Amino acid sequence: MTKILLIDDEPDLLRVLVRSLNADGHEVATALDGPKGLDLFEGQRPAVVITDIKMPGMSGIEVLKRIKERAPEAEVIIITGHGDMDTAVEALHFGASDFVTKPFRGETLAIAIRRAEEKIDIKRRLREYTLDLEGKVAEATVELRRRSNFLSNLIRSSNDAIVATDEKLAIVVFNPEAERILGYRQEDVVQRRRLSELLPAEMVEFFSQAMQDTCTDKECPWTETEIASRDGDRIPVRFSGSVLMEGDRKRGTVVFFQDLREIKRLQRELVHSERLAAIGQTVAGLAHGIKNILHGLKGGSHLVDVGIGGKDEQKLRKGWDTIKRSIERMSNLVMDLLSYSKEREPDYEPCTPNDIAAEVCDLMKARAQQGGIDLVRDFDPAIGRVCMDPQTIHTVLVNLVSNALDACLFDERPPRQWKVLVQTGSEANRTIRFVVTDNGAGMTEEVKARLFTSFFSTKGQQGTGLGLLVTRKLIQEHGGRIEVQSRLGEGTTVVVRLPYREDGTSR
Amino acid sequence: MGKKVLVVDDDPDVRLFNTTVVEESGHTPIEAANGEEALQMIRSEAPDLVILDVLMPRQSGIRLYRQLKTDASMKDIKVMVLSGINKKSFLKSQQALAEFGGGDVPEPELYLEKPVEADVLATAIKKAIG
Repeated sequence: MTKILLIDDEPDLLRVLVRSLNADGHEVATALDGPKGLDLFEGQRPAVVITDIKMPGMSGIEVLKRIKERAPEAEVIIITGHGDMDTAVEALHFGASDFVTKPFRGETLAIAIRRAEEKIDIKRRLREYTLDLEGKVAEATVELRRRSNFLSNLIRSSNDAIVATDEKLAIVVFNPEAERILGYRQEDVVQRRRLSELLPAEMVEFFSQAMQDTCTDKECPWTETEIASRDGDRIPVRFSGSVLMEGDRKRGTVVFFQDLREIKRLQRELVHSERLAAIGQTVAGLAHGIKNILHGLKGGSHLVDVGIGGKDEQKLRKGWDTIKRSIERMSNLVMDLLSYSKEREPDYEPCTPNDIAAEVCDLMKARAQQGGIDLVRDFDPAIGRVCMDPQTIHTVLVNLVSNALDACLFDERPPRQWKVLVQTGSEANRTIRFVVTDNGAGMTEEVKARLFTSFFSTKGQQGTGLGLLVTRKLIQEHGGRIEVQSRLGEGTTVVVRLPYREDGTSR
Repeated sequence: MGKKVLVVDDDPDVRLFNTTVVEESGHTPIEAANGEEALQMIRSEAPDLVILDVLMPRQSGIRLYRQLKTDASMKDIKVMVLSGINKKSFLKSQQALAEFGGGDVPEPELYLEKPVEADVLATAIKKAIG
């Protein structure tokens, strides 16, 4: 169990105590005076030392002091004389753990020893725990540093620009990608500039609002906008952000934004290559279109031959007219094909969309009337002059209205009141919306899915089959979108959205 | 001798060509620009031969063909299909309609693909009605 050192100048007492302690299972070493005791202590390093106070030569207090000098963790129990309180207190001052008063019973000592053992145990456990704790703190510190580095790295190397602010919207994080896009250096921006100085109004607005106590909006979904860099370049970006919370408190904001220039370039390339692929597909369709035109040419030339042979001027004339018409159709086909395959930048100029739409309706009026179709206009009078490409609007509307008329003409259901409705309207974000609706044949989901990819013309002499493809291309080049909704047996609605620039401003 | 031939096509140039060849073959042409008109003319004029285009507005040739071949009063009229669509596709569409519940319909006696030479058309007309 425990190694004990017993120091007392009374040999009889020693003998008795040793026997008692041995019985309890302790290993005991004895000494009759202080110096001997200290020697033994050096040699054996017992955990517990029991020493008499009153001894000739070195006193127990002296022994206590010396032991505590060398081994402060040793438990020293002193044996005092009856009534010797002062000495006992002095001993406690010098670090004695306990004292027993002579005369004492065997148990008393045993109890004191047990107490001493408990203390030793507690000290040991505390020591272990402390070491353990220190170890854990060191580990945690390393981990913390690692994570902090990781996060720093994350922010630094992110492909997204990251800008974070405190609750006053002063910038506290400004990563390298943000530096690149905006053209400012981190040291010039952090804690020196505010969000409103660098980012476009729409980004800043969300956050100023979000930081208000009353606002519960915490996130801003991905939105496209343009950023003006320090050098004045306009860079298309996509941004998103959120309010940073700590518990219930709003601590700041973070904005992520991405440079879309590359993406847009890739999109354009994709559109281009899709178009080239579609051209491959349209070759078969083209062949069909050309066959029809050839038929016209053959027919015409046959009539010319007959006319010349039979000296029939009427046949000659008719034949020649047929040939001329076929040439015209061939020319349209070629123009459409070229138009479809070439990249073209729209020519923005001030124009009035409603006027253009009206022109197209006038153009189509005769055909509508012939087919017994009601061609109705519904233009938003609020739309004035804006900067768009009038040619795009015209070509697109001609194609869509023409398709709508055909949908009615080709409707195989019993005759009904066919109607084609052409509408204009304006939308947020500087957009003009054109809608062409018909209540003709409508399309199945399958056909609708292939609308823009396969080449099919049901239009005999008039269609080139490329109409919709050219239309979509023009719309895309103008930065717009086209949407088709259709139900078989009910009709079709085509919605085209085109952005405009403010008339007069050069952007 | 001079039989009545109905030419059905939405393209006026094609109708012009076809009617000329019909005339040269010694027959009398009448015209229709779409399926609806064609049906009316067949009922009122009773032609001996119908030269039928397929892709047309206001009732396509496919539908009209089926009508001609399933109507007791019309099924004996000779029909020549003259179309930009090839024969295989035409037959496939008829098959699809048959499966759809329309019942089988005989193949056209004659099927010509556009563009067609004047003499080829003339020969075909001769074969059909002499």
